[in-house]
Amino acid sequence: MLRKVEMIMMKKWMCLILTAVLALSAVGTFAAEVDADVAYVQEKGVLVVGITDFAPMDYLDNGEWIGFDADMAKAFAASLGLKVEFIEIDWDNKLLELDNKSIDCIWNGMTLTEEIMGATSCSKPYANNAQVIVVPKDVADQYQTAEAAAELQFAVEAGSAGQSQAEAYGFSFTPVSAQTDAVMEVKAGSSDAAIIDALMAAAVVGEGTSYPDLTYTIGLNSEEYGVAFRQGSELAELLNAFFVTAWQDGTMQAIAETYGVSAAVIAQE
Amino acid sequence: MTPEQWSIVFNALNVGFLQTLRLFFVTLIGAIPLGLLIMLARRSSFRPLSWLTQGLTWIIRGSPLMIQLLILYYGPGLAFDWHPWGGGEAGRFSAAATAFIINYAFYFAEIYRGGIASIPAGQEEAGLVLGMTRTQIFFKVKLLQMVKAILPPMSNEVITLVKDTSLSRIIALQEIIWAGQKFLKGSSGISASILPLLCTVVYYLIFNGLLTILLTRLEKQLSYFR
Repeated sequence: MLRKVEMIMMKKWMCLILTAVLALSAVGTFAAEVDADVAYVQEKGVLVVGITDFAPMDYLDNGEWIGFDADMAKAFAASLGLKVEFIEIDWDNKLLELDNKSIDCIWNGMTLTEEIMGATSCSKPYANNAQVIVVPKDVADQYQTAEAAAELQFAVEAGSAGQSQAEAYGFSFTPVSAQTDAVMEVKAGSSDAAIIDALMAAAVVGEGTSYPDLTYTIGLNSEEYGVAFRQGSELAELLNAFFVTAWQDGTMQAIAETYGVSAAVIAQE
Repeated sequence: MTPEQWSIVFNALNVGFLQTLRLFFVTLIGAIPLGLLIMLARRSSFRPLSWLTQGLTWIIRGSPLMIQLLILYYGPGLAFDWHPWGGGEAGRFSAAATAFIINYAFYFAEIYRGGIASIPAGQEEAGLVLGMTRTQIFFKVKLLQMVKAILPPMSNEVITLVKDTSLSRIIALQEIIWAGQKFLKGSSGISASILPLLCTVVYYLIFNGLLTILLTRLEKQLSYFR
């Protein structure tokens, strides 16, 4: 009995000491002025943003990158007194690009997955997304629930959030190399359905697209978009603070309005 | 697709193909002389140099060019926090050109070696008897004959190079395949169309057709010993 009390006392002491050490080191880093990555970017004077061509988040308009993400990135860089440069990357190599410092952040409608959050310093989520089921229009009525969809043969992008959902629901699926390939599988009839991003589905299938006879039905999950910086970079914190300011003064809502993503944007407090 | 959309597509493909051509010509300009140096090192009577060259030939020819591109572009930054290339398109082009020059130079060196080996040893002996130095024999007797002998295999490599440039999309160099592929995902309001990517074939075919005509003509011009 006495032993237990002693142990608890010891644990308390250790906790106290640890807290003190942590507090001191926090003060230490604070005193050591700016974070190394922030200093690196400030010295360059340019924030290099890694993107892919992905409307409505980042896309080209008369040679200039615009979109919800692009405009927010411009505003964020301006708030730090930095210029902004957009560089198209191969999405598969996004983490390599970040560690290689050929880009300073990934800001392109990126789903905050555990893999990404483990390997980088991420901002708070700023928009909602979901994985949805794409099927031919004429059979869409039959597949409005996950149970009904379970009998379908799916196509998903290998390693994507869509594949994770297919696995989670125990669907039978074929991995293909891109979300668009998954949609093409449905069109070609080699798969019954595909699982892709809701934002992408809105842009790729339905009236006025190359796949007018396809549509999307239920969302299988909900996920969130964030911005990734190098592991340990304080730029993530600076961006969180910027999001709050931009939300309070209404800039963020205005930009969201411009690109028609208001419904997806998450309030920043 | 509408005519306006096609004009967007062809503008993008033209820009991409210019980058492809740039990479093609820079690689040839760099790799043709570098291959000669590597061939000389390989044939050197200084054994360690010859062994080193054989080892490098094994590594460069034995590993995928795609991995060489990745290592050259991302390696220095990831391993040594050293960033010689920079993130922009110019840096990616420099990295791609360096990888292609090194890779093709080692293939060229082996072709050159075959060309030299095809020249009868009697010519070298004759040159020595006449009091020429080995350097003189190489440049004045063997080199031109070698050029004749290697032209067909070199043409093969050159045409392969035109298509190999597309591997550089792995480090996001925006050559013609990249330019065509982006419409597959969706770009400039055109989404999920595979036609632009298929159209890139026309560019390759036309350019390779011109190259074939040029190389055949060159081969004919050089056949004056017959």
